[in-house]
Amino acid sequence: MAAEVLLEVKDLKVHFPTPDGVVKAVDGLTFSVSRGETFGIVGESGSGKSVTCLTALGLINRDQAQVSGEIVFMGRDLVKLSNEDLRPIRGKDLSMIFQDPFACLHPFYRVGDQIIEAIRCHDDMSKKQAQERTLELLSAVGIPKPRDRFRDYPHQYSGGMRQRAMIAMALVHNPSLLIADEPTTALDVTVQAQILDLIDRVKQEFNIGVILITHDLGVIADVAQHVMVMYAGRAMEIASRDEIFDKPLHPYTWGLLESIPTVDAQIEGLVPIEGAPPSLINMPRGCAFHPRCPHRFEPCDNERPALEDRGGGHPESCHLTANDKAAIWGKREAQRNKVAS
Amino acid sequence: MSKIETPPEDLVRSDKAQGDPLLSVEKLTKRFPIKRGVIFQKQIAAVHAVEDVTFSIFPGETLGLVGESGCGKSTTARLVLKLLEATSGKITLEGQDITHLKRRQMRPLRREAQMIFQDPYASLNPRQTVGQVIGAPYKIHKTEGETKRKVQELMERVGLNPEHYNRYGHEFSGGQRQRIGVARALALRPKLIVCDEPVSALDVSIQAQVLNLLQDLQKEFNLTYLFISHDLGVVRHVSDRIAVMYLGHIVEIATAAELYSNPQHPYTAALLSAVPKGHAGAKLTNRIVLEGDVPSPVNPPSGCPFHPRCPQARVKAESDSEEVPENCRTEFPPMGEVAENHFGACWYPLEKGGDFQRAAQA
Repeated sequence: MAAEVLLEVKDLKVHFPTPDGVVKAVDGLTFSVSRGETFGIVGESGSGKSVTCLTALGLINRDQAQVSGEIVFMGRDLVKLSNEDLRPIRGKDLSMIFQDPFACLHPFYRVGDQIIEAIRCHDDMSKKQAQERTLELLSAVGIPKPRDRFRDYPHQYSGGMRQRAMIAMALVHNPSLLIADEPTTALDVTVQAQILDLIDRVKQEFNIGVILITHDLGVIADVAQHVMVMYAGRAMEIASRDEIFDKPLHPYTWGLLESIPTVDAQIEGLVPIEGAPPSLINMPRGCAFHPRCPHRFEPCDNERPALEDRGGGHPESCHLTANDKAAIWGKREAQRNKVAS
Repeated sequence: MSKIETPPEDLVRSDKAQGDPLLSVEKLTKRFPIKRGVIFQKQIAAVHAVEDVTFSIFPGETLGLVGESGCGKSTTARLVLKLLEATSGKITLEGQDITHLKRRQMRPLRREAQMIFQDPYASLNPRQTVGQVIGAPYKIHKTEGETKRKVQELMERVGLNPEHYNRYGHEFSGGQRQRIGVARALALRPKLIVCDEPVSALDVSIQAQVLNLLQDLQKEFNLTYLFISHDLGVVRHVSDRIAVMYLGHIVEIATAAELYSNPQHPYTAALLSAVPKGHAGAKLTNRIVLEGDVPSPVNPPSGCPFHPRCPQARVKAESDSEEVPENCRTEFPPMGEVAENHFGACWYPLEKGGDFQRAAQA
């Protein structure tokens, strides 16, 4: 099934000049998202996950940022569009759910009215019709007794319900692509499970594409079909979920997988990634990860590896050869399994 | 020193436990009053933050305390260190009843029990240098010897550069700041350290560094940890025993391996199944998704606090007229031994695996 490509990002760079130097928040990113899939972006804080998506929505201040590259969405390059031209797309075909449901709803207005406003922004609809549509959406996202809850203020909602309301708001215009930026980070695990289920159901019912940004590899393993691992504004590798977890090709991904304690098995001693992420102003030469990489060798510190598909539909950016990688990962995995058993 | 009366839960011991409990807590309860009125304040309700919590920690082990936000984990931590005054119950530290000690009487005991806080950005005074922050315990307790040298040794031990003695908190990254917090807690060589979500604010790659540091220090100084976290993976990794909290109550307590392989309380099972497993092949479909939200601790449900959301109770309800068995609704289930070294507070503990799968499908 060849799915329609919704979003294509080509060599995107977002640089913020500051008095201390240029912050390279996103530094040459290429990926694409198709309809009907959940594309997970995973990385630590400051790796450029959110900036990428805010750029797509035109939500970064263009006066303060240098943006280059292309973000092609439904045949139009979003980077070149002016704010005026973006407005009909933003919130309509392309919508977003933010991390903090506590900060994203206006505390002075009733939840229902806020959703009605979102509807009437793009659609010429009477208040009455908009209200019907809102009730429909609120029940679709699983808010109990939507008719009563419609008139509540955000503080009367729990965290999970607020996130549901945000999802309802994002869906008002049947978008093609939904960007969810850490949608469950502020929520408890049992509520997180509810919201992830909801996003998955919405994706299937509305047949849309979803970009899910998260720092939690566990969430990615649960819901994503494709995964991009980001580090310091660059893509380390992009692959299907199974490939990322079973045959990861980048030392950073290896490090991530080994440093996370899981509920399944008790591991004797985690293997942390030494050091700390680099400053985005003074990025290391060559591969951004090389100062922390236990497998670095000669070209790593002065030659930046390109994100390349070396066969197998699994683009990655690392100087190691495929054979070396298979050998190293095999050894590391054996080590891990040995300790676990 | 009088022998401490040990409640039945204390029969649960991990392999690491030695001798008498270092800290034990009996029927600890904390209610925060909700008041109305300006001058003549009247208490109109109370937040039932911690209810009848009983547990003990033995020297050298780690007790994990896990639960969702608002379940009373942090309040428990603050109560055992007497940063909050308990409403009722008894706290015993090293055989001494500290429940009603005054601030000044408590001070010498603070050498024995220290705390590491969640937010490394908020827990360091921005106007103090690292040296001052880590040296403060020495100053307060008027210890002899050269403070600077001691502080620098500590900094070295926790993985900080001792030359950074005169730097301020903001000059460090999140992981390094948490190391400063660890060094401060370690300064007086306490026996017990209460870690309140020590790695929640850190990135995963840094999180592992701090967890490993805490484990190394435990071995080196024979520390005892009360480790609080909402992250079940982290808790499993560091804990010898784990207590699960829900709405102020401990609902289950067992050794780590036992709790994860054989959860007896339906809440524990639901919590475990809700955690993303972090590997491919874990499917969304076998997950038990609890309905609704955690009820308000101002009006906790009668009987078992979990009964309104409990899938097991629905399975067990005998007649069709009632949704939940009567004892679940009316009476809090006593903490009973459901398996060896494994205590749970549930009227209908799960049988290994079986029951719950059916419950999930129902």
